[in-house]
Amino acid sequence: MSDQVVVCEQLEKTYQQEIVPVHALRGVDFEVREGEFISLSGPSGSGKSTLLNVIGGLDRPDSGEVTLDGVALSTLSDSQLTELRLMKIGFVFQAYNLIPVLSAQENVEFILQLQGISSAERQERAESALEALGLAEMRHRQPGELSGGQQQRVAIARAIVTNPVLLLADEPTANLDSQTTEELLSLLQRLNKHQNMTIVTATHDPIVMGYTKRQVHLRDGVIEKDARAA
Amino acid sequence: MSLKLIWQLSFRNILRHRRRNLMLFLAIAIAVTGVTGMNTLIRGMQYDMLDSAVENLTGHIKLHAPEYRDDPNINKGFPMADNFTPPVDAGEVMGWAARIRIPAVIMSERETRGIQIVGVDPNDEYISFLGDVPIEGEGLTDASDGRILIGKELADQLETKIGRRIVIVTQGIDGANREKGYRIVGTYDAEGTGLEKIYAFTGLANLQGLLDSDYVTEVSIRLKSEPQTPSMKDSLVRAFQDLAVLDWQELEPQAAAMFVFADGAIYIWFLLMMTTLIFGLVNTLITSVMERVRELGMVRALGMSKRMVLIQVVVESTLIMAIGVAFGLAGGYLFYLSIADGLDLSAWAEGMESVGMSSVMVPVLHWADFFLVAYLSLIFGVIASLYPAWRAVRIQPLEALRK
Repeated sequence: MSDQVVVCEQLEKTYQQEIVPVHALRGVDFEVREGEFISLSGPSGSGKSTLLNVIGGLDRPDSGEVTLDGVALSTLSDSQLTELRLMKIGFVFQAYNLIPVLSAQENVEFILQLQGISSAERQERAESALEALGLAEMRHRQPGELSGGQQQRVAIARAIVTNPVLLLADEPTANLDSQTTEELLSLLQRLNKHQNMTIVTATHDPIVMGYTKRQVHLRDGVIEKDARAA
Repeated sequence: MSLKLIWQLSFRNILRHRRRNLMLFLAIAIAVTGVTGMNTLIRGMQYDMLDSAVENLTGHIKLHAPEYRDDPNINKGFPMADNFTPPVDAGEVMGWAARIRIPAVIMSERETRGIQIVGVDPNDEYISFLGDVPIEGEGLTDASDGRILIGKELADQLETKIGRRIVIVTQGIDGANREKGYRIVGTYDAEGTGLEKIYAFTGLANLQGLLDSDYVTEVSIRLKSEPQTPSMKDSLVRAFQDLAVLDWQELEPQAAAMFVFADGAIYIWFLLMMTTLIFGLVNTLITSVMERVRELGMVRALGMSKRMVLIQVVVESTLIMAIGVAFGLAGGYLFYLSIADGLDLSAWAEGMESVGMSSVMVPVLHWADFFLVAYLSLIFGVIASLYPAWRAVRIQPLEALRK
């Protein structure tokens, strides 16, 4: 059994932008091993977000195959793909995307509720995740009562509380100031290091790349550079 | 799937836009109050019309000779056994009365009118309007009473009054005219229903003597409750195969049609209200869904199934409807209590009486109507949510997250 969490083979994806076709991915081969912390970088339109979305089952490639934790995504129906996202992937979005009517703890419990976890276990796991991220005191606050950095930490708590196979983060620090960015990246780094969490993040930010073990640079839909930190 | 999660999200989303949803609750509550309140009035009118029809010497069921209605004559009567009792469950019967009712001419010193002379046993007439109608002068005492009781309006038309004599001319059992003078014992006031001008009452045995016959032309039976009518009628049809057994709907088709119309009016009124409300509800739900495109896309991305998104919107809609309906039903009940003693519509008495209704409209509360409104409202809530829910389900996570 290999330790490959994600295997992408010959991914092609073209978007139609009005009448102009945009080749977001051109035959991308890419793999993610367990415990890696990878940044996908590149200029706008390079294909990094598309690659992240295809890996996360939010988008389907025109051709090629993505295998996540041994499951070929092309074989799954939309509802199976939804189930796979729920059970195997943690998502962190640029705009936090917490549910505004739920408290921090309820937002974290939300994903466990979708998984059908019992109330007592949900509460215990959510409290534990929030505590680990330094949000124990704020668990009853609603998103509107939290700062951007705190909201993003709640989003990370929500993403990791299910112990996902893979954590995907799409520009998670884009809306944060540099100090909060550093704090958040340290947090992701700790999760990677201490919990062996596999993390792939799309970013423009060189600070983010500095925290990752492997930097993949895309340009015009192809991987231009794939470097591992020393 | 967690039902608690659905409730939690739906309830919080309703609270999220308090002012907007408060307006919607109010609209629903006012509409439901209007519908349920109006239903009690429609039911009141309906039962008032039924009572008027049944009390109009009709009863719930009547026995006639088969040809009597085509030719109302003593020849088309039938003999009554001395110990006659309707062969039906006595517990269901309020009372019964045998009568002769035939056309006649009434003459005073000044005027002549065509009427129906009705021979009654006044002791049995508690089942008809005669039992509680206001009488000036005296009423009849028994079946052998040889005096006459006429309507107040008829007395005015005949330019006569209590104590004076009138002459009745009618056809006897042999087909020959019979004529007899009667002293007016009293006049009855049937609130201008038109009955006053039609019916003149005398003792049954006395009239039989005039007509030289021991026949009666009808037996009228009043039941304790209207819904027993069909089963009682069946029993009577089996017992009296030589007679026509007719229920009030056959005898008073106009009242029966109004009764059915009132049932229909309740539904039509409800549907009109709900259709109007649905547009408001759909609009609110679509706005709510469109405001949450990104949020719904995010929960879909995280792993919420389409089915769960759909259920969430449906529950949200049903919850809004349920809260509005609960307040509306309470409002409807309070409205009913506030007018339970009746609305005095005497200013429009003439118009009311012309359609067989009294001038005081007493509302009637049917709990079944309340439950029907509640039940159908919830169904409408679900229907209203289908389009917004479909819009919500169609949201693509990726596109929504890009917004």
